[in-house]
Amino acid sequence: MDKNNIININDLEAPLFIAWQINAECNLGCLHCCEEAGHSMPDKLSRDETFKVLEQIVALKIPYVAFSGGEPLLHPYIFEMCEFLRKNSIDLKIETNGEYIDEKKAERFASLNLRSVQISLDGATSVAHEKLRLGGNWNKATNACKLLKSKGVNTEIVFVPTKFNIHEIGQIIDFAYSLGVYGIYTGKIMRIGRAAQNWDILCPSDEEYKEFFTTLNEKLKQYDGKMKVYFYPYDVLEELKYRRMSPAASLLVIPNGKVKLIGPLPFVCGNLKKQTLKQVWENYKISWQKPQVQEFIDRLIKEPKLLAESNKWVELFH
Amino acid sequence: MKLKKFVKTRDEKFGEVIFDTLKEKVFVTNETGKDIVDLLQQGYSSENIVRSLSDLYNKEPAEIQNDILSFIDSLKNNSLIEV
Ligand SMILES: C[S@@+](CC[C@H](N)C(=O)[O-])C[C@H]1O[C@@H](n2cnc3c(N)ncnc32)[C@H](O)[C@@H]1O
Ligand code: SF4
Repeated sequence: MDKNNIININDLEAPLFIAWQINAECNLGCLHCCEEAGHSMPDKLSRDETFKVLEQIVALKIPYVAFSGGEPLLHPYIFEMCEFLRKNSIDLKIETNGEYIDEKKAERFASLNLRSVQISLDGATSVAHEKLRLGGNWNKATNACKLLKSKGVNTEIVFVPTKFNIHEIGQIIDFAYSLGVYGIYTGKIMRIGRAAQNWDILCPSDEEYKEFFTTLNEKLKQYDGKMKVYFYPYDVLEELKYRRMSPAASLLVIPNGKVKLIGPLPFVCGNLKKQTLKQVWENYKISWQKPQVQEFIDRLIKEPKLLAESNKWVELFH
Repeated sequence: MKLKKFVKTRDEKFGEVIFDTLKEKVFVTNETGKDIVDLLQQGYSSENIVRSLSDLYNKEPAEIQNDILSFIDSLKNNSLIEV
């Protein structure tokens, strides 16, 4: 049996994972938001189109889907979408800021038997969290974790390090453990979307990152077997250098049905309003080798500022 | 023995993909691995899997036993199955 990274997407009939940004609306205005969320995207997938995509996910036996946004809990029929996938045994993760999770929603999530609900918590206290997550309420996010946990939902916390909060990594891991969540996930902030615009005030220094990873490694040992502490040590450029050689078996669907190669690149390899998921997957497989994509990655490596263009879509197929 | 709750499989031309969605780890296996996983899912014990596959492949149990047991061990070591 062979593991992971040797998977060649050309051998696969369909993706293994769909990351689906189901909306762009958001109640917050996070300084670091990679999606620049907070508006309604024109030309969103209709209800009919949405369910056609869901049906194709089931038909292609795609095992794992994540709903993100924007804030996915502002989507008008998110629960119906969840129910559809779960009825068909597709594993599902919801990524949310947690602010709309009350007892009733936590119970609904529990009944769906989700792979997990992932709550963004960008501080061990309200100060750092709310400085980064404009309009955000730390108490609501932590209450969401408690409610979900109390209903038996597999709950994860995501922490994005910035200059404001990076020093709180040890504290937030301890706090996550006190909440009894399944795990805490972190990694370097990506220089895309609003994070690119606010890069100078957000990006931690090398020294801060060094301390951050030292603490993470200590906490990893401390919580071994008790709580999952996991982190991705690479930045966006390192990730792209790797992905250009070994693309992930996943598609990133945005609210208007366009499908991106990966968050940090502007390239779009299809449109689910016009094409089937299978056709888009076949496009995806050949997209990474296109000179346009490879050359852009080369340019990014020399000029990381170009990452700011990740949300300006460039169509690879006409 | 059966696959854990968040372990999914999908047939592919080369055999099968085994995806632990909780750990976000993917494994691939060939047709024989796929046959073993199918039988595990149906509740077969290791011994019965060896017997059943020796019939299916028309081979002596002793000839295939080690490979089958070591494959089942690798599923266990990667926490993909619960006993
Ligand atoms: C875009 S949000 C959408 C879901 C939801 N609104 C939330 O905030 O959790 C998904 C995840 O991406 C993270 N994120 C946002 N901007 C990021 C960036 N520039 N780098 C790394 N992660 C980022 C968020 O903290 C959140 O955990
Ligand atoms: S990170 Fe999430 S909560 Fe913050 S603005 Fe973006 S979509 Fe909204």
